[in-house]
Amino acid sequence: MEVQAVSQHNRPKPDTAPPAELSRQMLRWSRLWCGPASSDERHAVRTRLSAWLERCFGHRAGHLLTRREGELSLASSTPFFAAFLGRRATRELSRSVLRDL
Amino acid sequence: MPRIVRWVWGVSAVHFALGMLAYAHFLVTGTYTWLGWYFWIPGTVFFLFTSGLEFLLAFRCTSGFDADEPMRLAWTMIAAAAFARFLGTVLIAMRNWHLGGSALHLPNSGAVISFEGLGHAGAVVGGPLAMVFLAVGLARVLVLQRRFGVLGGLTRIDRLLIALILAFTASQVVAVFPLLAAHPPLSTALLWLSDPLLALLLVQAVLVRRAAARIGQGLLARCWGMYVLAIVATSAGDAGIWATGQDMLSPSLEPISWYIWFLAAAAFACAPAYQLAAMSLPLVRPVVRVQPPFTGKENFRAL
Repeated sequence: MEVQAVSQHNRPKPDTAPPAELSRQMLRWSRLWCGPASSDERHAVRTRLSAWLERCFGHRAGHLLTRREGELSLASSTPFFAAFLGRRATRELSRSVLRDL
Repeated sequence: MPRIVRWVWGVSAVHFALGMLAYAHFLVTGTYTWLGWYFWIPGTVFFLFTSGLEFLLAFRCTSGFDADEPMRLAWTMIAAAAFARFLGTVLIAMRNWHLGGSALHLPNSGAVISFEGLGHAGAVVGGPLAMVFLAVGLARVLVLQRRFGVLGGLTRIDRLLIALILAFTASQVVAVFPLLAAHPPLSTALLWLSDPLLALLLVQAVLVRRAAARIGQGLLARCWGMYVLAIVATSAGDAGIWATGQDMLSPSLEPISWYIWFLAAAAFACAPAYQLAAMSLPLVRPVVRVQPPFTGKENFRAL
């Protein structure tokens, strides 16, 4: 009960969160989602997506998407995964790609 | 390879080995006793097992998509094809095994259905009807593949194969057309649709194989590859029946052409297993480790 009270006291309320912090978070997530990447996190996303594409479709699937969409990212690959694996599997797949990031 | 696929091929290998024993007995003795027993009982059980498994797996694939997703319709049609094959096998088994006497008596209506009639119905349901469902399902898959650029262009060999298939089908249709004037039974006329439908499936198989070759050997590519194998094996079995009718096969070679149907049945059962494996993979929370520096090697917990 005390721990809950303390954590509620320390957590900033949504309507009082600094706009700069919110903006920074949204920008970070949009870069993870859309690419292009230069940081380690986005490199990890691309690597994990490539591995999923290879496992689910084949080793040339990544090249196919890259040629078509320009950059391998969650934004470019999610419709492809969702079409052939279904939304539920794609949701879990996205969670797996973003785990620990 | 998913566990179910290993299991199916393992059972198929044992079944095939049994079949080879029966064939060896036929070659040595010249009698069809063992062969007859093999195709009548273990063969029928094998078809029931594979078609039933195929339907269960395809149904689970269907359930993995929401109602508004395009692959839902594709897998619904494929599941319907599997169910038609299973039902056809059941009806033919009832005829072969003469369950309950010489005819089937329906309790409420008092109608009597001959087992021969059941066999004809089974051939139609498990043949042309199943093919129609599968053709619609594969057409849906091809549309989606084309939308995502997986299908790509056809090679010269693809076009040649398709031309050969269409030419052969046209010759069969021309040969059959005059026979319609003799007003054959409905089941016979419907069975004549098998050749054109099989030709359509073969064309789809050529396209699906082209798509699978473009993306590699992942789980979904293997799913589509299994459908290609199943359709080609079915066509080979059909060609065997035609060759037998034309007396092109010697009596000792004729039984060989019967075994191809088991390959087709096993491939049909494996196809949805690969799709299901691909859909289930994210749901079992595999551990994906990115090795620094990047080596391209990822580890997945096996299904």
